[in-house]
Amino acid sequence: MRILVVEDDSLVAAGIKQGLDNAGFTTDLIGNAEAAEVFLQEEIFDLAVVDIGLPKADGLTFVRNLRARGLTLPVLFLTARDSMEDTIAGLDVGADDYMIKPFRLPELVARIRALIRRSNALASTELRHDGLIMNVASNTATLDGEPLELTRREWSILEILLMASPQVVSKDKLVQMLAGWDKDITPNAIEVHISRLRNKLAKGDIEIRTVRGIGYRIDLTRS
Amino acid sequence: MTDPKKKQFGLRHRLIIWIASPMLVVFVISVLVDFRLARETIDAAYDHSLADAALDIASHIKASGAEPQLSLSPEAEEMLRSDAFDTIYFSVASADGRFLAGDKNLPLHPAEYLGQTSFANDQYLGQAIRVAVLRTKSGGDLIDVTVAETIKKREIASRTILTAMVIPSVALILAALGIIYFGVRRGLSPLIDIEDEIARRSPRDLRPLDLGNAPKEIHPMLHRLNELFGLLRDSAIAQERFLADAAHQLRTPLAGLQTQVELAAQSELFHDDPERLVRIEQATERLRHLIRQLLLFARTEPSTAAAQTFQKLALDRLAEDSANIFIDRALAKNIDLGYEISSVGVEGISWMLREALDNLIDNAIKYTPSGGVITVRCGNRDDHPFLSVEDSGPGIPLAERDKVFGRFYRISETEAEGCGLGLAIVKEIAELHGVEIRLGDSELGGLAISLHFPSGGGQIRQ
Repeated sequence: MRILVVEDDSLVAAGIKQGLDNAGFTTDLIGNAEAAEVFLQEEIFDLAVVDIGLPKADGLTFVRNLRARGLTLPVLFLTARDSMEDTIAGLDVGADDYMIKPFRLPELVARIRALIRRSNALASTELRHDGLIMNVASNTATLDGEPLELTRREWSILEILLMASPQVVSKDKLVQMLAGWDKDITPNAIEVHISRLRNKLAKGDIEIRTVRGIGYRIDLTRS
Repeated sequence: MTDPKKKQFGLRHRLIIWIASPMLVVFVISVLVDFRLARETIDAAYDHSLADAALDIASHIKASGAEPQLSLSPEAEEMLRSDAFDTIYFSVASADGRFLAGDKNLPLHPAEYLGQTSFANDQYLGQAIRVAVLRTKSGGDLIDVTVAETIKKREIASRTILTAMVIPSVALILAALGIIYFGVRRGLSPLIDIEDEIARRSPRDLRPLDLGNAPKEIHPMLHRLNELFGLLRDSAIAQERFLADAAHQLRTPLAGLQTQVELAAQSELFHDDPERLVRIEQATERLRHLIRQLLLFARTEPSTAAAQTFQKLALDRLAEDSANIFIDRALAKNIDLGYEISSVGVEGISWMLREALDNLIDNAIKYTPSGGVITVRCGNRDDHPFLSVEDSGPGIPLAERDKVFGRFYRISETEAEGCGLGLAIVKEIAELHGVEIRLGDSELGGLAISLHFPSGGGQIRQ
């Protein structure tokens, strides 16, 4: 996985590069938007981390241009401003996520993984999450290389949870999303499916965590 | 804080006292004067008939022989003495005091001029009497005819006048006092509204006062006040802007520092002394939190925040979203963070209410010991939307509950790290939304802090 980091502050940039390299990504650093545009024309990246407050052309303009050229790679904004207007502007120009400085490296890594997972699912029809692979095209799943048998409902629930990870998915939202082809699904039925899914995932590294009163989230099994 | 009620009363009281007390004095004087005038008229009328009686007696005096003689038939005398209420006395005496006829012991009040009647008050047979004395001439002798009567009918008349005058006067006074009271109240109500508005304001609310409903007499004063507010606002804005700029500038280097610390944690750098790394991480985290809170505090300032518009939003959605932020921290501390939310809408500024909730959950996680429980609730209670966070932590001692909303206030003897801005921010946001904050004890054993919205959704105060 190759990531482009457009950040003018060398300390922050170095920190991100080191952190992403440690997490197994290949990272390229660029200090300004102009050079980054040239770079993106020549190389292929899986994701760009872009600082909004860049020296000449700012990050918003950079991403707007990039989308105008038809580049669909996921973009995560970094910003030192946290006002609502800025973040809305960021998402409006076509960014996929944003984080406010200062941020935590593990969270940055988690968000980057989620963005890449979603973008890959769209591109390659394959969802991957720590040992679990769901092939959306062939409807086959494997857990740590072993085939995983899933019912249609279980498949849908797991797919929704994986796509949303690390976000919590509310039970209501699951009902709404499943209601499209399964009108009779109830919150209680979802609990039953979740419970079966848990049994099937028990051997792997991921688990479905209940958030009391809201819903579920995919977590790494804590050792 | 000064008591706004006391202040309003001062103004109203003062006016009422200054109008009502001189008016009362004038009323009392007027009643007294009226009463005296009426009494004098009545006295004059009764005196007149007394004087007539004296003239009548004088006409019966005959200058026969050495001494003048009173020739009054018993019938005439009886008629003279007859009166429904009073006893009538008379005497005829020479000007030098020699008794000639009538009641011998009747006190004499020698008149001064011939043909004139003078009047006096005296006592006779232990009773108050009114005396009329007529000096007349019979032959060569000067004679004083004295007629007197007890004063019963005069007293009855005074009493009647007094009753007839005092009852309507008292009624008039009471009516006038009532009119003054309500008139002053009504007349001052725009002024009191303005006082109320000023008293209700938070110290940071420096928007100009609306002159619309104010009486024009106080417009100059309000203009000056608004000018002063303007100056204070400018300096407050400059200060907040500096704060915001400073915090923005601090964020990037802090981001660098934080990533470096986290990278150090991943490396073997602090292998010999992991405690030191933990301390650096904690310090960085506190710095990050403080800068964030300072910025937030600057942004919730009313003159900045007033520019934002209220929108309909779902509290349950707001609560649901917060789970994404806090579930990891709760898990890390082995705290059961849960939700009991039902669908409820309010009007407000979404990001602010979210920050308020985040601050409450953040506090709950900080102060609740490992293994505890936190429950976020929202819904309708008594037709009012509410949002609450309850925990199984140590709670807040009663004595400190009113202090915890102050800036940089930290509960004594707590070990948790905090900058003391969280609840001040919550309070600011609550005030802006017309939301009431309640602190109570939770069934979970710790603090229950809840935000109660006005029934029609929040309204930005204009």
